[in-house]
Amino acid sequence: MRLARFLGYRLLLSIPVVLGIVVLNFFLIHLAPGDAASVLAGESGAASPEYMEQLRHKFGLDQPLATQFGVYLLNMLHLDLGYSFRNDSPVGSLIVDRLWPTGLLMLTAFAAALVIGTLLGLVAATGRNSWRDALISLVSLVAYATPGFWLGLMMIVVFAIRLGWLPTSGYDTVGADNEGWDEVWDVGRHLVMPAVALALFYLAVYARVMRASVLEQVGMDYVTTARAKGQTEARVMTGHVLRNALLPVVTMAGVQAGNLIGGSIVVETVFGWPGVGTLAFNALQSRDLNLLLGIFFVSACLVVAINLAVDLVYVCLDPRLEL
Amino acid sequence: MPRTFDATDLSRRTILALPLGLAAAASGARAAEPKRGGTMVMIVHPEPSTLAHYAVSAGNIPPIATQVYEGLCTYDWDQNPQPNLAKSWEVAPDGKTITFKLQDGVTFHNGKPFTSADVQYSFMEILKKYNPIAPVMLAELVAVDTPDSMTAVLRLANPAPYIMKALSGRDLPILCRSVFEGTDVLQNPSANKPIGTGPFKFASWERGQFVRLDRNESYWKPGLPYLNRIVARFIPDAATRSAAMEAGEAHFAGYSAVNYADLARMKTNPILDLTTKGYEMTPAQSVLELNGRHPHLQKKEVRQAIAYAIDRKVILKDVMFGYGQPATGPLSRKFKTAGLYTDDVRQYDVPDRLDIANRLLDEAGAPRGADGTRFALHLEVNSFGEQWLRQAEYLKQALAGVGIAVTLRSEDTATWLRRVYTNYDYDLNEPFLSQGVDPVYGLNKQFLTSQIRKGVTFVNDTFYSNPEVDRMLGEGAREPDAEKRAALYKKVQQILAEDSPMIWLIDVQYVSVFNRRLKDHTTGPLGTQQAFERAWMDK
Repeated sequence: MRLARFLGYRLLLSIPVVLGIVVLNFFLIHLAPGDAASVLAGESGAASPEYMEQLRHKFGLDQPLATQFGVYLLNMLHLDLGYSFRNDSPVGSLIVDRLWPTGLLMLTAFAAALVIGTLLGLVAATGRNSWRDALISLVSLVAYATPGFWLGLMMIVVFAIRLGWLPTSGYDTVGADNEGWDEVWDVGRHLVMPAVALALFYLAVYARVMRASVLEQVGMDYVTTARAKGQTEARVMTGHVLRNALLPVVTMAGVQAGNLIGGSIVVETVFGWPGVGTLAFNALQSRDLNLLLGIFFVSACLVVAINLAVDLVYVCLDPRLEL
Repeated sequence: MPRTFDATDLSRRTILALPLGLAAAASGARAAEPKRGGTMVMIVHPEPSTLAHYAVSAGNIPPIATQVYEGLCTYDWDQNPQPNLAKSWEVAPDGKTITFKLQDGVTFHNGKPFTSADVQYSFMEILKKYNPIAPVMLAELVAVDTPDSMTAVLRLANPAPYIMKALSGRDLPILCRSVFEGTDVLQNPSANKPIGTGPFKFASWERGQFVRLDRNESYWKPGLPYLNRIVARFIPDAATRSAAMEAGEAHFAGYSAVNYADLARMKTNPILDLTTKGYEMTPAQSVLELNGRHPHLQKKEVRQAIAYAIDRKVILKDVMFGYGQPATGPLSRKFKTAGLYTDDVRQYDVPDRLDIANRLLDEAGAPRGADGTRFALHLEVNSFGEQWLRQAEYLKQALAGVGIAVTLRSEDTATWLRRVYTNYDYDLNEPFLSQGVDPVYGLNKQFLTSQIRKGVTFVNDTFYSNPEVDRMLGEGAREPDAEKRAALYKKVQQILAEDSPMIWLIDVQYVSVFNRRLKDHTTGPLGTQQAFERAWMDK
């Protein structure tokens, strides 16, 4: 009951947030010079002024900005994201098609970074100043400083071209028409390198945050108390320290989930992964404003949802917090 | 005397000539027996926004669209028209009517038979109205008559000899009338799901990934095509495109989808090979445009000085990695085959070019200041790829040598196009200009006074206006006599090279990278932009 009220309240609060983002995006985007008609005509080599007028009229670009805004807002209220004239397709279906690959990539990378990162942080902290700690610190520093696109390209050279273990790019083997588990295996092979390229940076961050956080917790009185009760070191760690130490990591992860959407643009481009990131980049390049606004809207909703989820995780981890 | 073609004679010649020409052209290997089956993966970059190449002439669409749509003709290596959907044709002595006898027994992918009504509808209702090259190429087309279902007659207001060069599926494709009739052509669903007569049928388009084309089992040319399937893959990153070729995942990358910088590495890969064939009818130049309204650039001497100051060989070597040739004037050397190119123009690549440049600038009233600088200009960097930034950096350095300080300005495509072609807010611009199948396309849109059209991209933005050139370009378009036509265009090239409204840098040469297992992929001068009907995969 309490949970339902909390959720209802938070959802209500998020409406003005999302609305604000929608309005702000609309006007920000219109500050960019050039429009979709001129890009399309530019790609065509040459076009007549009549043709460009025709395009502008079709795209609704000949309307005053206030009218365009009104139309846009009205559409949004019906949850209609509009039409991408460049792609000759409704914005909603374009985004939905790309949401699964991006979601798969993000979740895989996120989960891997979170699990492995926390574990490494824990291992490093428990063996402070040992060779394990030094090694993990070194690796995470390198991972933190390596640009994702470079790492991606190097992995392609090594694992796809030299060793031939993994495919260079794409979502699955085109034209193979795999089904069932064959398809899962195929997608999995394609997923490995982009997921690693995307995860490594975050993995390093979580490892470092976790290490610091654990070290802070082990000095606390409650740990001394637990030890005094005669609990084993392992029990102290898993039952007491871990839960508390995870809080800063979860906070960090919540903030970075939004970044992950942005960070995936580069990795998606390198690996030709058909996700929302490349869609957004192309939409910006071609001034496909309806599509771009649609992606912004979906991303904003995602970030709001993730923040809500993080708050719920807090409560699970720390019973002292209340909804 | 009317030019006629005998269909039986020609088709035999075509069939005999093609595999032979190929073996010599593509890989140098002995012609082997083609094998049926297999999937060919080609890389197309960037991903097209639409497959409606009848309305959008972006260069990345035809590699896909020409597998589906065919034209009335194809072209042999000498760029002469050969029968395709038209089995023969006759040009009237006055050059004002062209009568096409059509191939019978051809059906569209939706099962509808192909007739002269489709030709009539394609030319008059679609191509003439929506094709971006139509204002030039089809300007003289008045009507298409259909005396019977297998005869189509193009009626022209004036002779238009260049039309015979533009009848391929790339330039003037034939579409199915019943698909379009009564609909808004630009909104027609077939823009993304093309329906043609070609050897491959459209199967699916996964946005951001690939377009799949499947073998047309009822293709009208017996036994063709050999491949079961063509997949056009889209990979946004240049390094990954190269990697896909090196790993053998993709078999063909045409139209320079692989960066010039990577070609040397591709060459050493045992599974890959390169060819520059198949771009004979795709002439293009990279140029440096000068804003003719700028107080300095409006002086001919200053423009010529800039032309002298630039060493095209450096650009060829360091920017184009040796692919292409230094441009000599406003037409690419590719027009040599048609007899229209001349290098008998003012030469800018001379040993004492820097002295001449400095002298011209002094004479033009632009002396060096205390810091050695004469004046400053902005150069708009072409946004279509990394190589253009490299070229811009060289141009900056070259012009600094004669005392012109250049500031580079990099903006994204939409901003760049708006600045140059709508606001005219530029000094120097380095576009890449396609010249089409006939000079009438490339020269007219760049140099006719009537082509100074605010807001229209890649037309006359240098404000060049010369009544004599206007007159000769007009005559050149209508002149049916090949020799007289060549003489007119020679004169035009000489005047333009003298006036230098823009600096011609490089005659561009595209390159195809292909897997050695893929055979007979480049069978004519249109290369990637014609159907892979004879291509096959060796095991």
